[in-house]
Amino acid sequence: MAEYFPILIYFVAALGVALFSAIAPHLIAPRKPTKIKDMPYESGMDPKGDARQPLDVRFYLIAILFLIFDVELLYLYPWAVSIQGEDGLPRELRPLVLGVMLVLLITLAIAYLVARRKGVFDWRRR
Amino acid sequence: MLVELWNEYWPLLSAMLVVLIAIPTLGLYMTYIERKVAAAMQDRIGPNRVGPLGLLQAVADGLKIFLKEQVVPAHVDKWIYLTAPAIGVVTSMLAFAVVPFGPVSPEGPHTGFRFIIAPGVEIGLVFIFAVSSLSAYAIILGGWASNNKYSLYGAIRSCAQFISYEIPLGMSVLGVFAITGSMNLEKIVYQQSSFLEWNIWWQPLAALIFFTSALAESNRLPFDLSECEQELVGGFHTEYSGIKFVLFFLAEYTHVVTISFLTVLLFFGGWHLPGLTDPADPTAMGTALRLLVLLAKVGVVVFFIMMLRWTLPRFRFDQLMGLAWKGFIPLSLFNLLGVMIVISLDLSPYWMTLFSLIVFLVAGALNVSQLNNRLRSPSSPTIRTRAEGAY
Repeated sequence: MAEYFPILIYFVAALGVALFSAIAPHLIAPRKPTKIKDMPYESGMDPKGDARQPLDVRFYLIAILFLIFDVELLYLYPWAVSIQGEDGLPRELRPLVLGVMLVLLITLAIAYLVARRKGVFDWRRR
Repeated sequence: MLVELWNEYWPLLSAMLVVLIAIPTLGLYMTYIERKVAAAMQDRIGPNRVGPLGLLQAVADGLKIFLKEQVVPAHVDKWIYLTAPAIGVVTSMLAFAVVPFGPVSPEGPHTGFRFIIAPGVEIGLVFIFAVSSLSAYAIILGGWASNNKYSLYGAIRSCAQFISYEIPLGMSVLGVFAITGSMNLEKIVYQQSSFLEWNIWWQPLAALIFFTSALAESNRLPFDLSECEQELVGGFHTEYSGIKFVLFFLAEYTHVVTISFLTVLLFFGGWHLPGLTDPADPTAMGTALRLLVLLAKVGVVVFFIMMLRWTLPRFRFDQLMGLAWKGFIPLSLFNLLGVMIVISLDLSPYWMTLFSLIVFLVAGALNVSQLNNRLRSPSSPTIRTRAEGAY
């Protein structure tokens, strides 16, 4: 884990820089709030109601599909790293692993095709 | 005691100092360069008042930003509103921790000054993806906290775009990992030391997908649906001004620099340029030459990104999502299949090139025939002829 220690130090330093540049102007800059400045900017119209309204269901569908594909990607990373070279997987295991990966990909392709036929990716109704 | 600590940590501290100073400076100067490039492309002059050639414009902008009024509107969730830009900056800067910004050797030595903050991190690129995808939080929290309809729509759009392009981005680099057998960027560059071993020759399609998706991840212009001025004013940063707005932009420019570095390191041989640099040359002269080569390549990519901004029109949202889900994901799946077959059968890696090209051409042909069909059917809502009332 020793090689991750610099990242921790760097994280603290970057956080320091970000917080400094976010806070310092608050100490020196003027602050003159007016009623108009405190209004939401909606192209000069008076805002109606709350901004946080229900969203289109497609956004949720995309989020769910993202989860499926991203988890699948997680399985592919260790495979890609260890498939080749001398210090990778033992040679006799490689055909088996390839078969497993192909099953995974085919399952995924079927899921993708189902989603596509259902029109998840069509943002405009035909 | 103190001397030992100093000896142990000065390489880290010096590398950190370089990055922490270079990134904000670069951010400020990239706005200047971008304005100059835009001006040149549109036959204008661009900033030329402050200092020679307008070079001090960035300094003046920086000063102005710091002294500007800090508006925190009354209708926002104050704490989330204030944290969001800081999250954006920290995550985009943190992604730079494992990017070599100069020649480094995977075996070390890591004692003197080194051109990377954290050497030897085996998960390398996955760390970058993990950290930089946290910047979606900055956008969605900023948009949500702003309590403004434009902000919220911009944030939601941006988030959908971000997660959609994350998948082709992650999938396109799998071929590179398989060729190198590592996710460590130092090793990936080390492997591409001769010209014909650059990954671009073996994975041209993956390079194209990677670059485009990374561009979409950084919300740059052909993909800046989250902040398109004509529809959403400023998108997620409509309610932000002064330094908080600039922090969002610093995050974006840091992202641009990171993806330029990654494109060069992953596909274009990093600091190697055959005929000019010698990977085994340990002298200071050789190191400087390799550093210059790397920076020149990155400069070319950054310039290319800026040119793209003024060349391509913005996508429509359905086109944007369609490109990710209907275009890039199947393409990168097929590309991955090609890599799998070639590597398992121990074929020459140039079969991957052939496979990429075939996949690319078939996809293009399918697309053209689809477009033709759509043009022929008169009921289609997407493309109409002038006789039907479109203009």
